[in-house]
Amino acid sequence: MEEKLSREEILHVANLARIKLTEEEIEKYRVQLKKLLNDVEKINEVEGYDNDILIAPWESNTTLREDSEGSMLDPKAVVENAPRHSGNYISVPVVIGESEGA
Amino acid sequence: MKYLNKNIEEIHELLKEKKIKPIDLVNEAFDNIESNKDLNAYITLNKEEAIKRAKELEDKEVDNILFGLPIALKDNIVTQGLKTTCGSHILENFIPLYDATIVDKINEKNMIIIGKTNMDEFAMGSSSRTSYFGAPKNPWNKNKICGGSSGGSAATIAARDLLFAIGSDTGGSIRQPASYTGIVGMKPTYGRISRYGLVAFASSLDQMGPMTKNVYENAILLNAISGHDEKDLTSANKDTEDFTRLIGKDVSGMKIAVPNYLMSDIVSEEIKDKIKETIKLLEDNNVTVDYIDVKYLENAMTLYQIIAMGEASSNLARFDGIRYGYSEENPKNIEDLYLETRGKGFGEEVKRRIMVGSYLLSGENAKTYYNKALSIRDDMRKEFKRVFDNYDLIIAPTTVTTAYDLTDPMDDPRKSFMDDILVIPVNMAGLPGLNVPVGFSKDHMPIGMQIIGNSFEEAKMYQLASFIEKKLNLELDPNGGEK
Repeated sequence: MEEKLSREEILHVANLARIKLTEEEIEKYRVQLKKLLNDVEKINEVEGYDNDILIAPWESNTTLREDSEGSMLDPKAVVENAPRHSGNYISVPVVIGESEGA
Repeated sequence: MKYLNKNIEEIHELLKEKKIKPIDLVNEAFDNIESNKDLNAYITLNKEEAIKRAKELEDKEVDNILFGLPIALKDNIVTQGLKTTCGSHILENFIPLYDATIVDKINEKNMIIIGKTNMDEFAMGSSSRTSYFGAPKNPWNKNKICGGSSGGSAATIAARDLLFAIGSDTGGSIRQPASYTGIVGMKPTYGRISRYGLVAFASSLDQMGPMTKNVYENAILLNAISGHDEKDLTSANKDTEDFTRLIGKDVSGMKIAVPNYLMSDIVSEEIKDKIKETIKLLEDNNVTVDYIDVKYLENAMTLYQIIAMGEASSNLARFDGIRYGYSEENPKNIEDLYLETRGKGFGEEVKRRIMVGSYLLSGENAKTYYNKALSIRDDMRKEFKRVFDNYDLIIAPTTVTTAYDLTDPMDDPRKSFMDDILVIPVNMAGLPGLNVPVGFSKDHMPIGMQIIGNSFEEAKMYQLASFIEKKLNLELDPNGGEK
């Protein structure tokens, strides 16, 4: 039988990722994610390495830029790029509870 | 009269002598793209703006070798006022408010941006088939993939639409499509080119680079786009240099390593044979080539899966339906907005990777997987450094097979990682890697060789690549030079 994650496991990772899945996707990902997670488990078979870590392969010293005034994006354009906006503000749906009429 | 199938120096002379104008090149590029429309290499064309720009340049002095030349950009590089989709539904109508640093540099050279090329969604994939806008096709055989994720850039260069394209490479996405389409693709050292304005996939791996029909033009373009940028903290604080300076210089006496794993039975016999022929050619020219063991190469795919998917899950958290891009119409609340927008906005491969990445970084898993991957990554990089203590360069095949059919199944989630198994280690260690074509398969699909250099030694890689290019003298125009 094909190895699968449980439905609950898929819904858990989908929630972590803030992605809503269709029923069809849930079934498909149960098999596919299991395959990827099996791959990832192989990390535990590697031996002989030390504890130093490499977060990013920077070669040369990075520098901080001078703290000076530079050109900024036009706030109006930024706001207008948002799907919902009003005046100088980006608007969002209600955060707590549910909006009426939705 | 056709000009864009000539070499850069000839075109530059013609421009300087005013025998042609930038507008001639721009019109020709759009004609070529139109006649190769079935390749689906572009998501957006910049026609109106490019023509305007070409006209403006008519009054300017031809002050550098790239002046007036058309260039295509992968569609994950932000361009002010020009749609940038990342091959995704979620950014289908996204118009950026600023230019990436690489775009500023291209504009400083008075090059002309022709359009934005097709790609795997958010650069996640190895065949460009995860693009929301349909897959680009391989100019050598339109039933085949052109690789990915920079598939559109590879296709337009291979088809000789124009001379220059930019790709990006997180786990092989410049080199692998370059190999499948018979062109030269360079992923420079991490930090060589500013990533400011490159839509992030995995920030510690991403790097942009030039894709061209030959080695010299590749080096010329790298000259123009590299350099420190205060807008990208990870860009290297290095002086600019001339990457063409070693091209044509004698390669005898060079010492080259071939990692055994990269020539093991994971690679098709046909490709290994072609690489062996190239090795023989080098040995006949007094280059020392040794087969050696390099530790951790067989773990690179696992490291990549953990690090790339982990970083992707974090980077793609910004697509929330609030600030820009696709947004669910009538959400019940903000949580519902996130869930619906991302569920409908992202494609299958992207969702899969974000979910696995979120899982790998959550709670204790970060220690079990991510931290461990970073430790092994550090050892892998040290191992590469040890190789470069004794060798000038490393060579290997770029891909395990040649380009496969567009209709091959896409339901195996491991496939896109397996396709890139030979090109992933370079990104892990931040090293530069380049593809140079070395021949063709029995069914006449291109085969490429990968040259890997020590950090910031791109010039030496171009030296070897140009030597091989010259010696092999392959016909790399799919139309055989006919237009």
